Amino acid sequence: MKSPLRKRLPRELKGELGKYLVVFLLMVATIGFVSGFLVADGSMLKAYNEGFAKYNIENGNFRVKEKIYPAQKEEIEKNDIKLYENYYIEQTMSNKSTIRFFKNRKQVNKVCLMKGSLPKKADEMAIDRMYADNNKLAVGDTMKSKGKIWKITGLVALSDYSCLFQNNSDTMFDAVKFGVAIVTDKGFQTLDKKACQYNYSWTYNKEPENEKSEKEVAEDLMENIGKEVTLESFVPRYQNQAINFTGEDMGSDRAMIIVLLYMVIVIMAFVFGVTISNTIRNEAAVIGTLRASGYTRKELIHHYMVLPICVTLAGALIGNILGYTVLKNVCAGMYYGSYSLPTYVTVWNGEAFLLTTVVPVLIMLLINYMVLHHKLKLSPLQFLRRDLSGKKKKKAMYLSPKTSIFHRFRLRIIFQNKSNYLVLFTGILFANLLLFFGLLLPSVLSHYQEEIQNGLLAKYQYLLEAPVSAASGNELDRLISMLEFSAGTKTDNPDAEEFSAYSLDTLPGKYKTEEIMLYGVDPDSDYVKVDTKDGVYISSAYADKFQIKKGDMIKLKEKYEKHTYSFKVKGIYQYSGALCVFMDQQKLNKTFDLGTDYYSGYFSKTKITDIDEKYIGSVIDLSALTKVSRQLDVSMGNMMGLVNGFAVAIFLVLIYLLSKIIIEKNAQSISMAKILGYTNGEIGRLYILSTSIVVILCLLFSFPIEETFMKIIFREMMLASISGWITLWIDPMIYVEMFVIGAVTYAVVAALEYRKIQKVPMDEALKNVE
Amino acid sequence: MFLKIEGIKKSFGSGENRVEVLKGLNLEIERGEFCVLLGPSGSGKSTLLNIIGGIDGADDGSLTIEGERLEDMSEKRLSLYRRKHLGYIFQMYNLIPNLTVRENIEVGAYLSDQPLPVDDLLNILGLTEHQRKLPNQLSGGQQQRTAIGRAIVKNPDILLCDEPTGALDYHTSKEILKLIEKVNLKYGNTIIMVTHNDAIKDMADRVVKLKDGGIRSNILNKNKIPAAELEW
Repeated sequence: MKSPLRKRLPRELKGELGKYLVVFLLMVATIGFVSGFLVADGSMLKAYNEGFAKYNIENGNFRVKEKIYPAQKEEIEKNDIKLYENYYIEQTMSNKSTIRFFKNRKQVNKVCLMKGSLPKKADEMAIDRMYADNNKLAVGDTMKSKGKIWKITGLVALSDYSCLFQNNSDTMFDAVKFGVAIVTDKGFQTLDKKACQYNYSWTYNKEPENEKSEKEVAEDLMENIGKEVTLESFVPRYQNQAINFTGEDMGSDRAMIIVLLYMVIVIMAFVFGVTISNTIRNEAAVIGTLRASGYTRKELIHHYMVLPICVTLAGALIGNILGYTVLKNVCAGMYYGSYSLPTYVTVWNGEAFLLTTVVPVLIMLLINYMVLHHKLKLSPLQFLRRDLSGKKKKKAMYLSPKTSIFHRFRLRIIFQNKSNYLVLFTGILFANLLLFFGLLLPSVLSHYQEEIQNGLLAKYQYLLEAPVSAASGNELDRLISMLEFSAGTKTDNPDAEEFSAYSLDTLPGKYKTEEIMLYGVDPDSDYVKVDTKDGVYISSAYADKFQIKKGDMIKLKEKYEKHTYSFKVKGIYQYSGALCVFMDQQKLNKTFDLGTDYYSGYFSKTKITDIDEKYIGSVIDLSALTKVSRQLDVSMGNMMGLVNGFAVAIFLVLIYLLSKIIIEKNAQSISMAKILGYTNGEIGRLYILSTSIVVILCLLFSFPIEETFMKIIFREMMLASISGWITLWIDPMIYVEMFVIGAVTYAVVAALEYRKIQKVPMDEALKNVE
Repeated sequence: MFLKIEGIKKSFGSGENRVEVLKGLNLEIERGEFCVLLGPSGSGKSTLLNIIGGIDGADDGSLTIEGERLEDMSEKRLSLYRRKHLGYIFQMYNLIPNLTVRENIEVGAYLSDQPLPVDDLLNILGLTEHQRKLPNQLSGGQQQRTAIGRAIVKNPDILLCDEPTGALDYHTSKEILKLIEKVNLKYGNTIIMVTHNDAIKDMADRVVKLKDGGIRSNILNKNKIPAAELEW
């Protein structure tokens, strides 16, 4: 015979439909989103990983000033590698963005055609799909550059540009202002040849066995290539952000989403736990009778566990169906909104099933079992006597009779529901943390932009670039080139101030290797006011990211060599725009053996118009420095809305469930109060106001804890996702917003609870009174 | 002897607050006997009933049912003992609110390998027409009849009744007592009933009066009268 108690289950479900429905919906949404995310992430990650072989992605690339001679190529290939030409030319387009043009690749870094066709004529091009989306370009559109009209024939994903980093040292990619395109060989010939960048890709004839040996091989290779040619850049694949950033980001997103899922599940399990405790309290006499009649504890545990587990299973099932269908596309869309990924095929993800279905059900099972096992440990007699505390009864806390009965009544309600309020506090903490995160990012980004704008070293920084001929060819040509360069870079602009610059890398270790710009500035500089007599100053962004203090020593290394330099930090210079070091110009020139007259750029308040454009390597202005915040806003802006909505939903569900329990627990007292003549308003002031006070206190007390957590989370997120640094800044208005959102959400729940109080019948007090 | 109680002691609280509720009580009850425990509040009636039911333990002494000592039993065996031998009826019915009359009785039937036929029992209890109702749709008497049904459906050896008429009016109480009497005669269960109502002693085989934790009198009632003739 099956237990007749099972007949209660559908009635229990019907009777508590509101409770189970909100939990079910939250489960469906959470599990659906996570499942969709993991399936999309897994499928795309698989496509991304398989792309390395499928599209024959390079093992690295290097750039030189001039085309490599066949003999040099032969010598370089003796390092057990194969070289491929992968030249490119960058041009500014009519929409003021930059496109990097490549010839179609047939051997290495092959192209995935996603829409349309590859170019066949000299005026045709296929552009990156994401760049096209961001700039609202479609197949058939045209773009103009240097008088030439290009027709877009297709949208593609370049396997070595899954993330559109223009330079490997960039803090962040900018898929709005930078894109890549494929043209025919003839089309490539029509581009500005002077701007051609001689970039070579290499593949190993025999792949290194592991990451460690790959690093060793790459370092040796760099030294050997350096002996043959002068390297302008050397980027092994493991350091190439355009290739690796996507895979790494997918991995870190995955971890974050899974943690989110488990936090929701654990909170829901505790909500069920509290709900079950309440049910046990309500049914104490029945449980006592059943136990006295011979029902075992195991049978009752089983009975009370069925519904929570069924709701979780149903939520997981529907969530998974939604995850594999609708939500998968939403999540894939998020990745396609950030990265230039090739097409993918949905793959069954056993791990996603395990993580979104098996593990949540197990967590639910475990927590519910623990709560029930503990609660049902009491003897049948204790249940019959409704003596459920299991502990010796403590004396009631003394409350001064001088305070009004309403105050004392409310305090008693708060003491009575301590455990419910504890779960509520945990839930509020979690929901607010999510909300905090959702509200924080846009505000941090806008503050970062403001900070950069107000704290620019100079409105314009011009970094000069000497011509190739100044470093190669015969002595006379070199001299003439240098003189031309020197004359071409002189300016009469009174605002211009010379500075020297040199790039070094941080040492690999706890943090990823970062490029650090060393500025050599005039001791009487109008732009950087630091005393650099002994020691160096570092930017606040550098200090914050690497947690360096005044008096510390910093150690940096040459980019493509093993040589290192140490500097003592004399102070921190308030500058958020870049990770950089400020030192005396002469000292910098001497340290790096650049000559006493050397300078490599200008700071200026106004545009410098009288230097030859061909000698300007780059201009660092507000737009260049705020690239990171722009891209983060593009790729994470929509996600933040979703996070906020989710946080409010959790908040709403938790407060609704827990305050409902409190009202139910006190139904008899509420009924009795009605019999005594209390109005609904007065009863509401007793029962709802108690929870209101607790909610407000929970909101206020949660803020400092959330701030502490957020500092850790934000730092870890920034360390994992960007080069450079964005300092955490918490707008005080965020706390106000969080408080208002919390209070308004609670007001909705309070209104629902007030209706519930109105519905409590007066005969409730007359039932089951012992 | 079916049920043998020897030197049972039980106290509550500690130190100055310690109250000795049962002070070395001895009692023997035959199979099929209808035994009434009478006594004022605090005399130890319910405590004794709970000890017999295995839901409370004695501090000292022993309780044997058909040669099995309760104090030697583990929690699991006690559950089995209650499952196999006992039926409970309480003053406040303790029905499961979201199960119908029939289902509440089935909850008891589930515990037995050979339960009594539920339909017959519903008929005997006069609940056939109410079998699909939920407890809150029933009168107090009907709820108590359902509770009796739940207790006896597994045909227990011992039916423990703790003030079964305490919450009922005169007429309903009589109906319930008649029903318990009928069950006793029909199924031959041993019935131990705790009551404040002195009149009920007249329908019992054995009347045990308790006072201050001890037995004041233990009398075999040779002139028992049917429940229908009871007056109070």
